[in-house]
Amino acid sequence: MNIVNLAKHSISSRKSTLILTIFSISMSLLLLLSIERIRLDIKHSFANTISGTDLIVGARTGSAELLLQSIFRIGHANNTMSWHSYEKIQSIHGIKWTVPISLGDSHKGLSVIGTTADYFKYYKFANKQALSFAFGNRFEQSQQVVLGANVAKKLNYVVGDELVISHGTGNTSFHHHEKHPFRVIGILNPTGTPVDNGLHIPISDVELIHNKTIAHDEHHDHDHDHDHDHDHDHDHDHDHKNSQTTQPKQITAVLIGLKSPVLALQIQARINRNNEEPLSAILPKYTLKQIWQIVSPFEKTLILMSLSVLIVSLIGMLALILNTLSQRTKELTILRSVGAPPRYIFALICLETLFIVLISICVSIFTYFLLFTLLAPALQANFALTIQLSWLSASQMQLIGITLFLSLLLAMLPAFRAYQRVLSIGLSNK
Amino acid sequence: MLSLNQLRFQYPNQLRPIIDISSLTLAKGENLFLHGQSGSGKSTLLNLVSGVLSPDSGSIILLETDLGVLSQSKKDAFRANHIGFIFQNFNLIPYLNAEQNTLLGCHFSKSRKNKAIAKYGNLSHAAHAILASLGLSESIVKQAVHTLSIGQQQRVAIARALIGEPELIIADEPTSALDENAKKEFIQLLFNQTTKSQASLLFVSHDTSLKSEFSSQVALCDINVGAQ
Repeated sequence: MNIVNLAKHSISSRKSTLILTIFSISMSLLLLLSIERIRLDIKHSFANTISGTDLIVGARTGSAELLLQSIFRIGHANNTMSWHSYEKIQSIHGIKWTVPISLGDSHKGLSVIGTTADYFKYYKFANKQALSFAFGNRFEQSQQVVLGANVAKKLNYVVGDELVISHGTGNTSFHHHEKHPFRVIGILNPTGTPVDNGLHIPISDVELIHNKTIAHDEHHDHDHDHDHDHDHDHDHDHDHKNSQTTQPKQITAVLIGLKSPVLALQIQARINRNNEEPLSAILPKYTLKQIWQIVSPFEKTLILMSLSVLIVSLIGMLALILNTLSQRTKELTILRSVGAPPRYIFALICLETLFIVLISICVSIFTYFLLFTLLAPALQANFALTIQLSWLSASQMQLIGITLFLSLLLAMLPAFRAYQRVLSIGLSNK
Repeated sequence: MLSLNQLRFQYPNQLRPIIDISSLTLAKGENLFLHGQSGSGKSTLLNLVSGVLSPDSGSIILLETDLGVLSQSKKDAFRANHIGFIFQNFNLIPYLNAEQNTLLGCHFSKSRKNKAIAKYGNLSHAAHAILASLGLSESIVKQAVHTLSIGQQQRVAIARALIGEPELIIADEPTSALDENAKKEFIQLLFNQTTKSQASLLFVSHDTSLKSEFSSQVALCDINVGAQ
């Protein structure tokens, strides 16, 4: 029987009292590991949302707002820029490609992106990874729609299905552009970005569906009022072949790729100075970082909070060990009588503490994988958060390391108490 | 085998020495009954003899080794090799079974381990054989010790003290938890075993009714000037 076995026997003899301690340590460690995993994955998917785009231009607004609006589709796309400005931007020297996007419509609560076919060529995510098709192809003509991976999965669409787009965002929109149904022409592979939750239609159709709706509304109004005082011009008589050439008057934003990234600041300044229409040009990479910095004190607080929960449970363990120590005086005396040196007593108590923490760590890792294997589909579906179920990340291992280190440090206290105790009481019979 | 000379020991917070013994000897194979009331300094004396405490002056010679010249860890090793302890009660580690408790006796001593292996083939056999010779049946050996009676527990304690045949057995009030019949039986078992292994026995008790069983008797209050 070596010291490791002795510690094992000692621990297993006190299972019932230790089980709560082990539970509390492993649950707080589980909390810590989970928060760290979610933090990493949010950061990862956040930073990977867009790459390869050098500039994003939209109507004058804050840079974070423009990014959230155009890429994350958070917030309302109230501000638009004119097609004329877009054409002007295209002509700026040094610009390699431009992709206009128009937002504001939805399908069953999912956002619709009006864009050009170039979007599928130039929009890059993660490490300059291009979008790829799981089924079908990019749209080539009017009334075709390309679905993000989640859209197809969530709503059970396949290539060839028809769907109707609503005006405005959100599920409760009353205007359905029923006269202008779209046929699913392609479904994208999952990207882990907001692209997965979008429906992509030709940008010219955005204008078209709006006009159709208005035309539809007008027929209702005919009996009351014959005025044609709408601001809209009445393109709804055009047939679809013509409509494809229709240019939208307003767009939400433009994604821009430059011939050289060195030009970014210069062109940004030039666009921001545009005096015809107030515009904002942002560097998406930089803005992503800025937004993350807003979030980072929050994520640090979360980690610190869960770390303190862990420390509290470790202290709980410490209290338990110190408490049982006085009941174990006789046991330690027996060990001394058979020749155990005081340092052996010290090591034994340390080892027991270490065992408790190691068991807790194993329990927490097991629960962690169990939990995330079960929860990953739900997190993906509800929060579009892809949890990476690979082995623990370096930072998670670090947290486990910190836990071990802290518990060893804390274990010194009861171990030293026991050490002192066996020295002072000797082989007394009491 | 054991001799104490001009032994003095004083606790730092006390005014006079608790131990002041000019001479005490124990021969090989001798059974010595050391009578001591509580407060007579017997615990302190046992701690000195077993090397847990160091005397302020004087010498403790055990097996021709002066304990005073040994370092603390050497004293621990020396105790492991040459002394078997039996306490009053709660003699056993609660989370080990009878066999494991017995083997604890040679856990810290290579020489006792080797002696046990040489005699019985392996450690498990040694433990079983000694427990059997103390009248403990095979079924008890693997049982959790808290399921054993006090008498059985004390026999396991004898087995632990005797495994690997240490030269000195120190029994500190080992019978006080036992009834009259069990006391006599316990002492006989102990004598049998120490005779077999030719060990010396230092039996400390306040119970003078046991005195007559021993070949020699000493009252601690007679030899310890400190406690007077």
